[in-house]
Amino acid sequence: MKVFDCPVIGPRPISEFDYGGEVRRPPMEADAPSWAAYVFNRQGAPGLLREWWYHRPTGRWYVMERDTLKDEVVRFIDLEEVRYDIPA
Amino acid sequence: MPWRLLKYGLKSSHNEPRFFPEAKPLKPHYDVVIIGGGGHGMACAYYLAKEHGITNVAVLEQGYIGGGNTGRNTTIVRSNYLTPEGVKFYDTSLKLFEDLSDDFDLNIFYSTRGHFTLAHTDSALRTMRWRAEVNKHHGIESEVVDRDFIAKEVPYMDLDCAGTHPVMGALYHAPGAVARHDAVAWGYARGAYNRGVEIHQKTRVTAIRTQGDKVTGVETDRGFVSCNKVVSMVAGSTPRITSMLGLETPIEIFPLQACVSEPVKPFMDTIVVSGSLHVYVSQSSRGEMVMGASMDPSVLHSTRSSFNFVEGLTDQMIDLFPFMSRMKVMRQWAGMSDITPDFAPIMGKTPIDGFYLDAGWGTWGFKATPVSGKTLAWTLANDRNHELIEPFRLSRFTDFELVGEKGAASVGH
Amino acid sequence: MTSRLDPQPLEWLDRSETLSFEFEGKAFTGFAGDSISSALLASGQTLLGRSFKYHRPRGVVTLANHDVNALFQSSEEPNIRGDITPLTAGMSLTACNVNGSLEKDRDQIIGTLSRFLPVGFYYKTFHNPKKLFPMWERVIREKAGLGTIDTRWSVRRQAKTYGFCDLLVIGAGASGMQAALSAAEQGLDVVLVDENPQIGGSLDYQLVNEANAAPIRERLKAAVQNHANIRVLPAHLACGWYTDHYVPLLGPNGIIKMRARAVISATGVMEQPAVFRNNDLPGVMMASAAQRLIVRYAVKPGQRGVVLTANSEGYRAALDMVKAGVDVAAVIDMGSANSRGVWADEIRQQGIRVLEQHAVYEAKGKKRLTQIVAAPFDGHTCEPSKAFEIDADLLLMSVGWAPAAQLLYQAGGRLAYDSTLEQLLPQELPEGIFACGRLNGAFTLEQRLADGERAGAEAAVFLKDEALPAELAACRDREAHSHPWPIVDHPGGKNFIDFDEDLQLKDLVNAAKEGFDNIELMKRFSTVGMGPSQGKHANMNGIRVLAAVTGRSIDQTGSTTARPMFHPVPVQALAGRRFRPERLTAMHQWHLDNGARMMEAGAWLRPEYYLPTSETGVSDAAGAGNLSIREQAILREVQAVRTGLGLIDVSTLGKIEVMGPDAGKLLDGSYTMRMSNIKQDMTRYALMVDESGVIVDDGIAARVAEDRFYVSATTSHADATFRTLSRHIVEWGLDVRLVNRTGSLAAMNLAGPHARKLLAPLTDIDLSEENFPYLGFKEGNLCDVPVRLIRVGFVGELGYEIHLPVASAQRVWNTLMEQGAEYGIRPFGVEAQRVLRLEKGHIIVGQDTDGLTNPFEANMPWAVPLKSKPWFTGKPSLALLKARCQRTLRGFMLPKGYSGELPKECHLLIDSGDIAGRITSIAYSPSLGRYIGLAMVDQPLADSDRLYQVRVDSGALIPLEPCATPFYDAEGKRQTVDLTEVA
Repeated sequence: MKVFDCPVIGPRPISEFDYGGEVRRPPMEADAPSWAAYVFNRQGAPGLLREWWYHRPTGRWYVMERDTLKDEVVRFIDLEEVRYDIPA
Repeated sequence: MPWRLLKYGLKSSHNEPRFFPEAKPLKPHYDVVIIGGGGHGMACAYYLAKEHGITNVAVLEQGYIGGGNTGRNTTIVRSNYLTPEGVKFYDTSLKLFEDLSDDFDLNIFYSTRGHFTLAHTDSALRTMRWRAEVNKHHGIESEVVDRDFIAKEVPYMDLDCAGTHPVMGALYHAPGAVARHDAVAWGYARGAYNRGVEIHQKTRVTAIRTQGDKVTGVETDRGFVSCNKVVSMVAGSTPRITSMLGLETPIEIFPLQACVSEPVKPFMDTIVVSGSLHVYVSQSSRGEMVMGASMDPSVLHSTRSSFNFVEGLTDQMIDLFPFMSRMKVMRQWAGMSDITPDFAPIMGKTPIDGFYLDAGWGTWGFKATPVSGKTLAWTLANDRNHELIEPFRLSRFTDFELVGEKGAASVGH
Repeated sequence: MTSRLDPQPLEWLDRSETLSFEFEGKAFTGFAGDSISSALLASGQTLLGRSFKYHRPRGVVTLANHDVNALFQSSEEPNIRGDITPLTAGMSLTACNVNGSLEKDRDQIIGTLSRFLPVGFYYKTFHNPKKLFPMWERVIREKAGLGTIDTRWSVRRQAKTYGFCDLLVIGAGASGMQAALSAAEQGLDVVLVDENPQIGGSLDYQLVNEANAAPIRERLKAAVQNHANIRVLPAHLACGWYTDHYVPLLGPNGIIKMRARAVISATGVMEQPAVFRNNDLPGVMMASAAQRLIVRYAVKPGQRGVVLTANSEGYRAALDMVKAGVDVAAVIDMGSANSRGVWADEIRQQGIRVLEQHAVYEAKGKKRLTQIVAAPFDGHTCEPSKAFEIDADLLLMSVGWAPAAQLLYQAGGRLAYDSTLEQLLPQELPEGIFACGRLNGAFTLEQRLADGERAGAEAAVFLKDEALPAELAACRDREAHSHPWPIVDHPGGKNFIDFDEDLQLKDLVNAAKEGFDNIELMKRFSTVGMGPSQGKHANMNGIRVLAAVTGRSIDQTGSTTARPMFHPVPVQALAGRRFRPERLTAMHQWHLDNGARMMEAGAWLRPEYYLPTSETGVSDAAGAGNLSIREQAILREVQAVRTGLGLIDVSTLGKIEVMGPDAGKLLDGSYTMRMSNIKQDMTRYALMVDESGVIVDDGIAARVAEDRFYVSATTSHADATFRTLSRHIVEWGLDVRLVNRTGSLAAMNLAGPHARKLLAPLTDIDLSEENFPYLGFKEGNLCDVPVRLIRVGFVGELGYEIHLPVASAQRVWNTLMEQGAEYGIRPFGVEAQRVLRLEKGHIIVGQDTDGLTNPFEANMPWAVPLKSKPWFTGKPSLALLKARCQRTLRGFMLPKGYSGELPKECHLLIDSGDIAGRITSIAYSPSLGRYIGLAMVDQPLADSDRLYQVRVDSGALIPLEPCATPFYDAEGKRQTVDLTEVA
């Protein structure tokens, strides 16, 4: 079983996490086709993928950059990096 | 003893013709290049040759014939889907399956077993009635059955599930079947080969060449071949192919795992699926229990096995079949499922002229093998989507016209 | 005739304990420490089983957990491996997969028909005519399969434990023990595991008579067992390698899930058979099997033996046989004796005939070996014209080895063929994986010790993150211990490559000729390696055959993927202890005590309805005709809410505290409607959609303070909603804190015209309409318990949802039930609530919606403020979807007094012969005196003025009258019915 070596909580097995999928940023101004592309399309090919992972026991989200071919976490992403503003 | 076995015995030497060609050089040009030598690719080649007379075709396979998900699935064939478009499509497939052994003159061990999808909640039971009603509307044997019926057909199952999540009923699909998955690919491959199609194993496509928005050929690790039409039939490798063209799709790859027990004498004739318990099981003709669960929860391009899969599966399985705790798990494996947001495939034409997709097969690709080949062959020959696959076109996502199969397919297989 | 030897120095037997058992109806005895097979052999029973396909007589081949033709059946278990299963007293066993008895197996006939059953024969026949295939399939299925299941067997489960270590060393032979010591000396926490009940491995069974091995053996065993940093786990099988060095260890008491930081595979090599005619006869066995018999079980493997060899091990085995009293008739060397070391000399000195450049052409015998036919061998073929016979009842095969590299392959390691050793050797190993010993090509004891020392040191260097010293090189042998072609063709066949599957040499050759000339295709077509031993003694020869047929090298030919498990693992051990957590509300026991019929709602249990014992059998509630007791109970609950009072436990709702300056912004972005402008002490319906606009959850949001909200979520989606909100906080960079109070707060909904009257004297909250209107929210005390009250309308009556600490919930519930008696209060369950909300036309997410339903389809355009809100999750999708609504949720009724066949939920609407929608909810409405429901109707029909028609179970079409919702109290007057009446 995969183990994630989290910066805050140390090594934890993948079974403690819920998968949150690819990190994406919605386009605030988009025509219909590009909005649909945002909603449905994904980076399906193997490679580095930024993903959301939710650690259930501590109730925390993490963003990791993972090689989806080798199943290796390359790094944990500072959550500031995935921030975006929404119109209020 | 069938006469044909006598014939084998009385012949002194084994002069059976080859199923597949020996390796030979690629030609410079083909009318159609099929990427992927699994069941779908071979079926497409077969129907191109047989029904459309298109034989200048190359099937390029990076590994060996049927070595991807064709050889990794749990061989279930059924058509009790939730949406009318799904039902029509898979029912066409099932009917083709029923005649494949004859069609190939090769026994694919198509064995009608009856298929139970268990309901452990009233909401599951509601969804099953929905499926049954849609199925019956399209003339498919499918009905919601109660505990008594299940107890009669599968008397050795603990309907109380050891006390939690008891079985409340089931969707019963009498035509549900299993088949020898490899033989399906071999039969199609042999049929295509005998009709002039070229099959190139250990040939990896590295790029697809286009001019403007039109396909002109493919680069392989054995050189370039020009062609007018390319169809990608590579299931779990689809994003690798589409990314060669910069074509975005909703497909994500999740591992799907399975395992088999040591063989035992036949006791189970039916196929049993439980979405709530995340298990499905049937007994192969060799006597092994073929078992699976739901997909792994996160993206991975790997066929590695995990231990928690087999732990979870066996834990739930023996709630239904307590005696199976005395059996042993012999082998586990995994395939890469190409999953779409609506659990329906993506088929047919794409924005790139001459590039066709047969993808999004998730956990339901094997049962669609014949119909996918047949409809894609038609689509290639006519350069427009066959009516059965029109609902599965890639552009449905742009149009927000998804196929509502998600409710029924979660652990359907 | 007994074959038991005098006590052997390293034997596993406890001769003080004699065990009686039965096999095939005959009485046998053995000793504690025997395996089933060794006890039978000791008693002269050499025929142990029948082969899978041809039902040929089979006996011991490996005694190493690969003897799948010596499987046994008991009344408790199928497929018992006799070669490794410890004998226990009173066992009653039969042979596996025989038709009749082991001695007289009627299915032997299949063997004589084998020429009619070429490789893959079943693909080529039985399908024509089609209608006969089910009959043939039945026959084939009956013949296939091994042991027999008794479906009455009760469940067995073995608890699992977790283990952790720095370094897991798999295999406690010479190199494994040395590796463990070397790493332990470096301070690592080492676990040393071996599948055998005693450590030692081949250092014991192969080198028992080597004088120089004895002190090493004693030193190593004592050292590993006494070392503070080493935990020795004999009788534990490393089932497989999984990601990040997770290796389940199967022991007698269950599985230890071992998480290591590094792994050394010292799993050794598996002896491979020679392929010649009748190489499967009982009496033909691996040399190592005979050694195991003698050393471990003190069983003399035969009276007169011949050794077929291609390595020095064969000569050593021959000497071991001599020592055990076997009359060794000859050693047949497939090559030259020159490189076989001192042992060959010793054999010659003993006067034993050594036949160089010879091979066994054929074995003869009926149920066991009686004679072998040897012939000159040129490295590839025999010369049958010069064949000669040797009488023997024992033939040892010592012609080569295959690495037990399964764990290395599973870890992603790569092996390559070494033409010096004629063996596959580790070439590239992934990080943290090491190999040593014979697996790694170290064959002499000195090499194995040195290689173990190296691997242990390398692992220590790796774990300490130090640089690797250059001098650590593998200590591989320079001479072959395997023959590159231990295969002899014979026109008569029966020269088996795969004993599991009864595959002969020609089967593989023919498979390749038919185009299955890729190793994986060959496996799948011929089934080589697919039996219960998973090819442990078939794959290597299979690869050699395919390489020869195709003219490719071993490396070009490749090998099939080695997947877990290493050996089959019992389901009872994998499944572990049963753990099915259930969530119970604070009032759970009360519900049970008061006749509640419980239903599962995710992990929760909720009352579906109540059937108080006092009322069982009461009939004709609400005048609704012939209703079941269940339906009557539900109706009584509905009526109580409508006319008096009802109380429902809604503790399973998700309950989330949202706090912080950006709380409003979070909810605005997460829910369709604006939440930031909810007035203090008011609530609003909270509808959540995903990015594609599909409804995923609903609840209510209450404004507790300027910077504080309290949000509810549906039972099934509560956790997901909490996760979603948590994530939005992160990705939108908001200053908000969430607390999930689902488990710490209970909730109940008091509903009915008398709700205010009951509550007023019990609370310090001013319940007046001015202070606490519909959709209002208040904090205060109820029965001296701090509570939150919410004026809700889900069931369509004056109602208060009461949220309060779990610890006090039962007390408040009791008070409400007691004080409410005068208003006819009843507890009500989920089913009554479904009816009540349906009368109000309220949807249940997941029942009236499906995986694609958007709010427009759910007929809730009012919940989608596309114009007034600049953004919320899913808004752009809904903006696109608004104009493309393809179906709409609509109300319908059955005619009053309808008494025909009732439609059910998910029955289909049919319009002009086509599917035009489905019923999502239907129930008898006591308030309206007729059946009402909701249907998801395709737009053309929804837009028409046609009647709906639903197809019921019988196939009949039943007309439904479309109608507007709510069905009941459209103006919402019931929310203040008590005040109106008073006025």
